[in-house]
Amino acid sequence: MKILLEIRLLFWRKMLESLRSLVWVISGLMTPLLYLALFAPLLNGLNSPVFGSDRVLDTFVPGILTLMAFGAGMGAGWITVWELQTGVIERLRVTPVSRFSLLMGTVLKDLVIFIMQALLMILFAALLGFHLHPAGLTVMLILLSMLTAIVSATSSSLGLILKEISSLAAVVTGLQLPLTLLAGVLLPLSIGPTWLRFIAHFNPMYYAVEAARVLASGTVYSHEVRAAFLVMLSLTVVTLWWATQVYRKAVS
Amino acid sequence: MNGAIEIDSLKKCFRPSKKSKEKLIEAVRGVTLSVKQGEIFGFLGPNGAGKTTTLRMLTTLLPIDEGQARVAGFDVKKLPQQVREHIGYVSQLGGSDGSATGRENLVLAARLYGMSREEADRRAEELIGVFDLSELVDRKVGTYSGGQKRRLELALGIIHRPMVLFLDEPTTGLDLQNRVRLWDEIRRLREHGTTIFLTTHYLEEADELSDRLAIIDHGQVVAEGTSRELKQKIAGDVITIHPRHTGSELRKLQQSLGGQPFVRETQAERDTIRLYVKDGAEVLPRVMAILEANHVALDSVSLSQPSLNDVFLKQTGHSLRDTNSNLEGQK
Repeated sequence: MKILLEIRLLFWRKMLESLRSLVWVISGLMTPLLYLALFAPLLNGLNSPVFGSDRVLDTFVPGILTLMAFGAGMGAGWITVWELQTGVIERLRVTPVSRFSLLMGTVLKDLVIFIMQALLMILFAALLGFHLHPAGLTVMLILLSMLTAIVSATSSSLGLILKEISSLAAVVTGLQLPLTLLAGVLLPLSIGPTWLRFIAHFNPMYYAVEAARVLASGTVYSHEVRAAFLVMLSLTVVTLWWATQVYRKAVS
Repeated sequence: MNGAIEIDSLKKCFRPSKKSKEKLIEAVRGVTLSVKQGEIFGFLGPNGAGKTTTLRMLTTLLPIDEGQARVAGFDVKKLPQQVREHIGYVSQLGGSDGSATGRENLVLAARLYGMSREEADRRAEELIGVFDLSELVDRKVGTYSGGQKRRLELALGIIHRPMVLFLDEPTTGLDLQNRVRLWDEIRRLREHGTTIFLTTHYLEEADELSDRLAIIDHGQVVAEGTSRELKQKIAGDVITIHPRHTGSELRKLQQSLGGQPFVRETQAERDTIRLYVKDGAEVLPRVMAILEANHVALDSVSLSQPSLNDVFLKQTGHSLRDTNSNLEGQK
């Protein structure tokens, strides 16, 4: 099919671009390692009933993976603004290539990079005592990939709309902090006050994190997972549709 | 209606900023044009005249507010996809991907237009030869000079053998040598039957390169024809006078010269007066006599054939060179 070929070609363009910038490759791979090396030991020191004795990593790793899924998509807008300024986007927009393909090249690239980072993280976490449940982890990666896709599509669309780095940075990082905090990525929200847990229910990411923790423990069928898939799947469809419209109309 | 480009009363408005309730800015105010198959058509005007906006509507990048446009035989509003398949476009920004090599840029572009791997490789190789890129094509585009990058981008624009090629300010930022070289490349494309529509704010470029041209100012076409036709409308010669003292005396001088029977028309700008006369060599002594009688100190006086700048000046009341340099000064 024409559209699959287009997406494949555009995906490779993006992928090569990322792999070629060594700085990004290194910093991308360092992120998971830094979390494990510099943050996880702090949690070990917390002799808290929240986690249970050897469950620290089991609670912590899914949260960090969610954070990484968000982070993997976040940068898309920066590249979009750059490509607007160098005319690359305009050149692609005069070709007969479908606008959906233009979007998906970026989204897929971010998704693949997230999976690579996540596998690395899981591998190292396992060495440190994280319990591996292959089925649960697979479903979790699928769920979190949707998060990356949503963030990536949103970020690149915002890049097209805002057209400059400064306002894009303000919007994206402005969204990142409340969204991740209100999802309980670092510490589970179950230890928080009722009002905090109440607000969290309006944050789609909250469902992803809750489900990720359940999946990491090996349970695939649960209402958390079903709720998360419902939320993330619908949000993915809506976001990709919206982003395609933005690519269609973008005036640069 | 079988031209390569047919435009009828094309209009485009912009809101100055999203929130403001100010009046809409009319960027393009009813442009009507027709470009024949296989010609180089120049779209000349100062920065901000509406050239790029017109071009962006024709290349499906910007929605058309009002009016009709057909490119390569397809209605731009109704069949944008077909238009995209038959046009090439090189924007002012260029649009090559700096992190990839020239060859990768070419092959990807070819494949996005539906060529197979082998076809794309072959076509890339062909264009590498045509544009003399072989020495640098396997380097990252980020390392190219301005002229090299432009050549690659021109190659990218014609990779799919488009019927109509749009070039937006193709030589802006290039030195004279590279500009002349690019002009040659563009002429060579026409020989292969490609219709070329180019915008420019350089008089020389419009004059040298285009078979026909249109002059646009404030969103409207003020003149259209071959360079020769446009200049002939002015018929005769131009005497340009630079008095040493400007200001109110300039106006007075313009009036007294304009009252002479042998002067057809006068134009005054900040520091110059232009006289349009039938036979410059014959009337120049008389002009000098008047200047002397009026005790006008001169910086210079020159006699020349009318240029496109005179055409522009006559149609718009201001000089294209001035408008350009003012704008560039602002930047």
